[in-house]
Amino acid sequence: MNKVKQKDLILYSGLIILGLAAPYLFSAFKVQLTYLCVLIVLAMTWNLQGGEMGYNTFGNILFYGLGMYLTASVQVGMFFPLAEWTESGGEKTFVHTTAQYFQGIGVGLLVSAIIPAIVAGAIGYAILGLRGHYFAICTLGLGIAAGEIAGGIEIIGAGQGFTTPPFPAEIVDTEARGKFFYFLSFALLIGTFVFVKYIYGSRFKLILNAIRDNEDKAEAMGIQTMKYKITGWMCSAFFCGLAGGIMGGLIGYIDSTDVAFDGREMGVFMVLMAILGGKGTLWGPVIGATLFHFFKEGLWTLILGWQYVALGVLIVVIVIYFPEGLMGWLREKYPERFGEVIDEKDRKAQVELK
Amino acid sequence: MNKLVKLFITSISAITLALVSFTSSFAKVEGDYIVLGSAISLTGKYSSNGVHTQNGYNMAVDRINKMGGVEVQGKKYKFEIIYYDDESNPKRAAQLAERLIKQDGVHYMLGPYSSGLTKAIAPVTEKYKIPMVEANGASRSLFTKGYKYLFAVLSPANQYLEVAIDLAVEKNGGKGVRIAQAFEQDAFSQDVRLGILDAAKRTGSEIIIDDKLPKELNDMAATLAKVKATKPDVLVVSGHTKGALTAIRQISEMKVDVPMLAMTHCDAAKLSKQHGKKSEYALCASQWHKNLSYKDKFFGSGKKYDKDFKKEFGYAPPYQSAESSAALLVFKDAFERANSFDRDAVRDALVDTEMQTFYGNIKFGPGGQNVAKPMILFQVRCKGDECENKVVAPTKWASDKFYHPIPKWSERS
Repeated sequence: MNKVKQKDLILYSGLIILGLAAPYLFSAFKVQLTYLCVLIVLAMTWNLQGGEMGYNTFGNILFYGLGMYLTASVQVGMFFPLAEWTESGGEKTFVHTTAQYFQGIGVGLLVSAIIPAIVAGAIGYAILGLRGHYFAICTLGLGIAAGEIAGGIEIIGAGQGFTTPPFPAEIVDTEARGKFFYFLSFALLIGTFVFVKYIYGSRFKLILNAIRDNEDKAEAMGIQTMKYKITGWMCSAFFCGLAGGIMGGLIGYIDSTDVAFDGREMGVFMVLMAILGGKGTLWGPVIGATLFHFFKEGLWTLILGWQYVALGVLIVVIVIYFPEGLMGWLREKYPERFGEVIDEKDRKAQVELK
Repeated sequence: MNKLVKLFITSISAITLALVSFTSSFAKVEGDYIVLGSAISLTGKYSSNGVHTQNGYNMAVDRINKMGGVEVQGKKYKFEIIYYDDESNPKRAAQLAERLIKQDGVHYMLGPYSSGLTKAIAPVTEKYKIPMVEANGASRSLFTKGYKYLFAVLSPANQYLEVAIDLAVEKNGGKGVRIAQAFEQDAFSQDVRLGILDAAKRTGSEIIIDDKLPKELNDMAATLAKVKATKPDVLVVSGHTKGALTAIRQISEMKVDVPMLAMTHCDAAKLSKQHGKKSEYALCASQWHKNLSYKDKFFGSGKKYDKDFKKEFGYAPPYQSAESSAALLVFKDAFERANSFDRDAVRDALVDTEMQTFYGNIKFGPGGQNVAKPMILFQVRCKGDECENKVVAPTKWASDKFYHPIPKWSERS
């Protein structure tokens, strides 16, 4: 961040203006745009582990779900008895005033950022010693277990789900809710992007890369790899938790395995999006998530009932033709645009040798 | 790199712009069509019931359109439904409801399949003041939220198996019974459980096993082992279609003897066909049965509906289809009485609904639930290898005697 080039400045301000104007330009698409912001955040944070650190985690969904439940619980619990809110599938109705709603969601989001980060620290301490597939499988279990456990906890609605507080009825404008959640998620997106960009310019990223490329050597160089691995995961958890909190409020109904700890969808999507765009790059996850979201929203309704087959085909195509993602593919095709210099003489010499 | 990024951004914005101009909202009423919207589970764990629901909707749309359609202000309109697949996922359902309303301009909604999904969609329709007639969201908590635009043609979930407990107590000479129960961890089944808890309290019965079953339900052997050991008077299982199939499969495999077995979703699971004699004596809660004597001018009687449905889709209609068809009849009736396409006028007309359909009487209570129609219980009975569902309760409709207790496996041929 120390030296923002002028070209970058134009790009970023353009994007921010587009982002701010989007809910007015595409008023009917606010919810989809909110999803897009959240998906990008999830892909970018996954990329910190999967792309930069070389630890393929399926566990980030844990923080997302945790954030969702925490935000909703705090939002309710601050003003009403939480147990009564969720009892018998939420039969009793309490109404938040406008002020209570926003105070609740504010504090809730704060909690939903901090606690998942702490949980990530604790779990990370226990399992980040695992490597490769062992780590991946272990984190896969985390998400599934969390879903089943949440489905048994009565105070958060158990199997009946948790209806999050409805948007205050005093605000008559039906667009207000959509705008509120869009701007919230857009702010989160900017925050995440700035943070990740900052990391990309720091020594921290180099250390993560060193861990990815050869963890033993990194350790031999005197890097306390465990410390950095945990810190990296905590950063991801922080933003995943926030993303979950926003989504919970937007969806309005939290189900333990289908909405919160939704490893089958969100958990897989975040990996897929990062790989589609190109893991280990700053823009890859952003582009991957955007393309994926467009693909999903645009095509899925056209192929009713077959969308998961199409998704399977997409995964196969990505893995076979774009193993390095779109960014990786472009980089190979147009290296000079990525600032990579090719020694023409050397290349020719090699061709002649063949 | 930045060039690429810019190129990418331009193309994305171009696509978005194209999208925006493309979907500049259909109207609620397009030409001769009244457009209804529905998110339905065509894939995922509710896919079989989602398809039953969709078939029910389609059947009614065809029938109503063929028989003259809906007359509003002297003009005949036809129904048309925009479907999306919600993948049995509440998150997706809520998003699709938003999409139907905001992008497709739908002003009237039909419900999704299952309570959980209806719970996710109801806040959206409520926010935009879109009347929704739903046929498959039975959770009691849907009707205590003060929703003004939600109307359900079915009886609430907690009523599903209460009658079964009453029956068991009656057979036990009025004394409380020992109940073993296992429910899927989802909004609907957990509501059925609440009904059983109420009934147990009321009758002084004791719950000795109270298990939770996972959502992707394929195995309940642990519960059944406990049932074998504790010998309860009644075993209650609810877990949508998969729950019913799993229960019968494992009860017969493990030869679990229990005097009374009460379940939900037997007809949706085509239990008597799939498991034949193994499913005999199972007691099932149902919203509807073809033998009931309700009538209307579109489908005639339940038996006629059964016949027509079989002809159209090749299988006997489960109650999920029947109630879904009824939802369309309710909409037609409300449009004609409102004689307008104004959403609030339609909503007010829905409130005043009082009609008989082949599926049953429909009248909405203050919370939006149907208060005019009781639940029924049927029992699977077999003659040779042919199994059929016979209505056994309530007595008003009962066509057969309730068989109790279930003979032991060792005595069954």
